Amino acid sequence: MSIFLYSFQTAIKNLWCEKWINILTMLTIAVGLLILGTFVLITLNMNSSLKRWSKGFGLVVYLEENLSSDKADFLKEYFQKDSEVVDIKYISKEAALKELKQTLGTTTQILEGFEENPLPSSFELKLKREVLDPVRIKQKAIQIEKLSGVEDVQYGEKWLSSLNTMTMGMKIIVVLLGSVIFVAIAFSTYSTIKILFYRRIAEIETLKLLGATRAFIRFPFLLEGIFIGTLGGVVGFLGLSVIYYFTTAKIIEFMPLVGGTIIFFPPETYLAAPVAGAVMSLIGSFFAIGKIRY
Amino acid sequence: MIQFFDVSKYYGEEIALKNVTFSVKKGELFYVTGSSGAGKTTLLKLIYRAERPDEGRVLVADWDVGKLKQRTIPYLRRNTGVVFQDFRLLFNRTVSENIALALRIHGMHPEEIKEDVAEVLKDVGLKHKAHSFPQHLSGGEQQRIVIARAMVSRPTVLLADEPTGNLDPDTSSTIMKLFREINARGTTVVIATHNSGLFSGTGCRLIQLEAGEVITEGEG
Repeated sequence: MSIFLYSFQTAIKNLWCEKWINILTMLTIAVGLLILGTFVLITLNMNSSLKRWSKGFGLVVYLEENLSSDKADFLKEYFQKDSEVVDIKYISKEAALKELKQTLGTTTQILEGFEENPLPSSFELKLKREVLDPVRIKQKAIQIEKLSGVEDVQYGEKWLSSLNTMTMGMKIIVVLLGSVIFVAIAFSTYSTIKILFYRRIAEIETLKLLGATRAFIRFPFLLEGIFIGTLGGVVGFLGLSVIYYFTTAKIIEFMPLVGGTIIFFPPETYLAAPVAGAVMSLIGSFFAIGKIRY
Repeated sequence: MIQFFDVSKYYGEEIALKNVTFSVKKGELFYVTGSSGAGKTTLLKLIYRAERPDEGRVLVADWDVGKLKQRTIPYLRRNTGVVFQDFRLLFNRTVSENIALALRIHGMHPEEIKEDVAEVLKDVGLKHKAHSFPQHLSGGEQQRIVIARAMVSRPTVLLADEPTGNLDPDTSSTIMKLFREINARGTTVVIATHNSGLFSGTGCRLIQLEAGEVITEGEG
């Protein structure tokens, strides 16, 4: 307890005595975590958009012309049994035409040349979120297309694939950038603690001669590293919050609908930046002190 | 308490100590004398394991110093108070903080530390300087602070390297009186000095070194 108290007091005292180099290191960590946080936030928003869009995602199964009601019922029963289908909506030829007319509005004259209703009847299938992967959806579409009475199956293949690829790409960028920034944080603290360690080398030698254990000598430096990393994380997070609120306020001003959908980190993750800063700085400090020999 | 058996120490080609054998009894006041460069400081360093013997054995209490593991060295040093020739005071800490550091290392409670520091400062006659910084004290006062720091943790052995080296005769006399008082309380004291005036007529045992070898073993 006494050693911890001593280490705590010494770390605070040293942080204050060497405040400029410590502030500089803390700001370096803050900027690193702010950049990483921005990328994570962009990825989170892309993921959230993908999920939001997926809720309305479905396959449209167009049926053959003049399909008997028995066959249509059979297909409906088939889809109902499918565990990956969460909702089924039957759209008759008449309903499809009505919907098209509503969509066309005042330009319905383009349908005047048709003697009969050209639109096929169809099923709109809503799929489970887990199935919303381009490869699985494609397999599903091929499987349904083979069914008797099915003319064609359509879905937003390209859009889904692009968004999925972009999200995956962002995740990879976040992982790579995260690794680089974490190493940079550790290295930044390593350099600072190394400098501070050498500045206090005479004091450390005296401590060793007075019988201080390695832990007694190390603890203040490790605590110093943890303080710098934690503060860096807090400042980085606060900086990101400020940027988020200013940016969303501007977006809402110009695009009210889009602005409302931009999300921030959930409260349970608020400590992630300070903890990441602390852990990486602790690792940096540990290596900076190195092996203490008597 | 302290035993040297055929101890030799080399710094490259240079011989610092050669075949040194002697012993210091528990509670004894012992002198190591010799001119500058004779090996006195090296001999003391071997006792608190700042150096390792190249040949021979050094025993301090129950410790075989040459065989000590790195993690055990701090515990030997806690039992061995050292009055360093260059003081080794921390100039960014006050007098009481410098002394308290030795007790902090022992893991003592802050309240106990406060009491012990006040007591030892009273013993060395510098209670009024508790909140001063070492650089504002005279050489003699700094020396007494170093003695206080070495003594505060009540070590079984006290080593002093040229404790009166830069001091005037009056201050030297005060410092030596302090060592005798410490010794009278039962602490084994080893003083390395080139000043024969310190031990003449005291009747204390001593060894005289020259070029790293013991040339005389006798009494002051």
